[in-house]
Amino acid sequence: MTETAPEPHEAPGSGKAPDPDEAQRAIEYCYDQGWSDGLPLVPASGPLVDRFLATTDRDPEEIIGSLEQVGRDCTVRTAAINAAMAGCEPGYFPVVLAAFEALMRERAARGGGFQSTSGPAPLIVVNGPVRQELGFNTGGGAFGPGFRPNATIPRAIGLIVRNAFGIHPHVLEQATQGVPGRWSICVAENEEESPWEPFSVDGGVPAPASAVSVMLTRTCEFIDNRHTPDHADVLRDIADSVGRLGPQIFPRTPVALVLCPEHAQMFAAAGLSKSDVQHWLIEHSGRTADQLRSAGKGNVVAAGEDFHRVLSEPRQIPVIVAGAPTAAISMVVRIFGEWSGTAVQVGKKT
Amino acid sequence: MPNAILDPTGTTAKATARAAPRAPRPASLRGKRVGLLINTKRNARPFLTELGRLLRESYDVTLTERTKVNFAVPEPEDVIKDLAAEADVIVTGVGDCGSCSAAAAADGVVFEAAGLPVAVIVTDSFRATADAMAELRGAPGFGYATTAHPVAVLTEDQVKQRAAEVLDDVVALLTS
Repeated sequence: MTETAPEPHEAPGSGKAPDPDEAQRAIEYCYDQGWSDGLPLVPASGPLVDRFLATTDRDPEEIIGSLEQVGRDCTVRTAAINAAMAGCEPGYFPVVLAAFEALMRERAARGGGFQSTSGPAPLIVVNGPVRQELGFNTGGGAFGPGFRPNATIPRAIGLIVRNAFGIHPHVLEQATQGVPGRWSICVAENEEESPWEPFSVDGGVPAPASAVSVMLTRTCEFIDNRHTPDHADVLRDIADSVGRLGPQIFPRTPVALVLCPEHAQMFAAAGLSKSDVQHWLIEHSGRTADQLRSAGKGNVVAAGEDFHRVLSEPRQIPVIVAGAPTAAISMVVRIFGEWSGTAVQVGKKT
Repeated sequence: MPNAILDPTGTTAKATARAAPRAPRPASLRGKRVGLLINTKRNARPFLTELGRLLRESYDVTLTERTKVNFAVPEPEDVIKDLAAEADVIVTGVGDCGSCSAAAAADGVVFEAAGLPVAVIVTDSFRATADAMAELRGAPGFGYATTAHPVAVLTEDQVKQRAAEVLDDVVALLTS
């Protein structure tokens, strides 16, 4: 990072610690305006937001997302204010912009997803050198918390939806229960311990460019399988969670598979590519027509179908490698709608 | 002079939408053309079909049916125009989710502006979101009919019962 302006925690020129009472008043002011997601906000000032805007060539007044049904737009400047309030460092802003662009490529995000009773959460996946440059966590505890970029970038996206689009809980946001981790899931792929190409390559951005991929999700379900030496056992275990009844309401029920390094390496050692893993799971993940009918979900079963597969193509099961090589625990992340299948390159200031 | 704390909403003032007009009401529905805009949510079709049947029985109305392109968002303008050309009053619903209840209210405001009285039906769980969307569209206090949530799990007979129960409210919304 090439920051020259004073850090916000320094009181410029004074050499003294900032005034905590003033800081508290500023935080309470933000609460009073209805801007907060419930946690304290960093009060954004012009000089701070200018440092965000200085990280991009984009015009501050450029509209980067619209929600037609509520008649609201988000500009680069509004995104910067929300990112500052979320606690981002100015240097994170190009990642926030890429994440927001990736999110708005999701049909479900544009089509009422933020208002949905499902209360979906974006899963943000970061690839490339920006992970090290900005200090993302790429190792243990991939789903958080504990690391500033991983924690504040998804929060910035949530604040944009709340403030720029005006989607407030209990009003235009109607989540029945919502998703644990909503606005707090940002995974930096563990490319260093993945046996395969970076996830962003699957989204069409060649390595080693930094890129962000986003999908709306409904929940995370862990697969703890650490005792078998047989990779086929692990695949069957994963298929059971991928194909379970609970999430099925439409004929297809996409998932993101976030593999721990140990599972990914086990598959690779058995000669499986990412595509092999996807195709095996497409073939084997589902439930019988009888099981679906017995749960009142016969409507997802096609005529003549005995075994109903929840997936039909690789885009419905993106595979990401994340976490530490400490245990064989992977995560199935249920996708809300369907992933766009694209990654967005992180912009560089010229 | 300290720096101001910046507003993250992107709105300069409290956005007050232009007041949306409300269509004049006929004194009676007798002989009117009723447009049913079905939002595709589970049981919306039998609900509105039964409501249409009851309206025809009581008021000798003629019925036109349309299906919403996407229940989650307001209807495209051309669909609204088409239906407006074929109907005198509109009944739409059933809003029983976050996005579809807001979209039903938004559609309602557009029909009213086009000169058609409308009866929007949402389940009682979604009053707040219907109110918020109507206000956003310049129609604070927009009137609509409610039925108890949920509707999706009702049997055929129960749906008919619900349609009968909401009939008077629908007629009151559509007439002066």
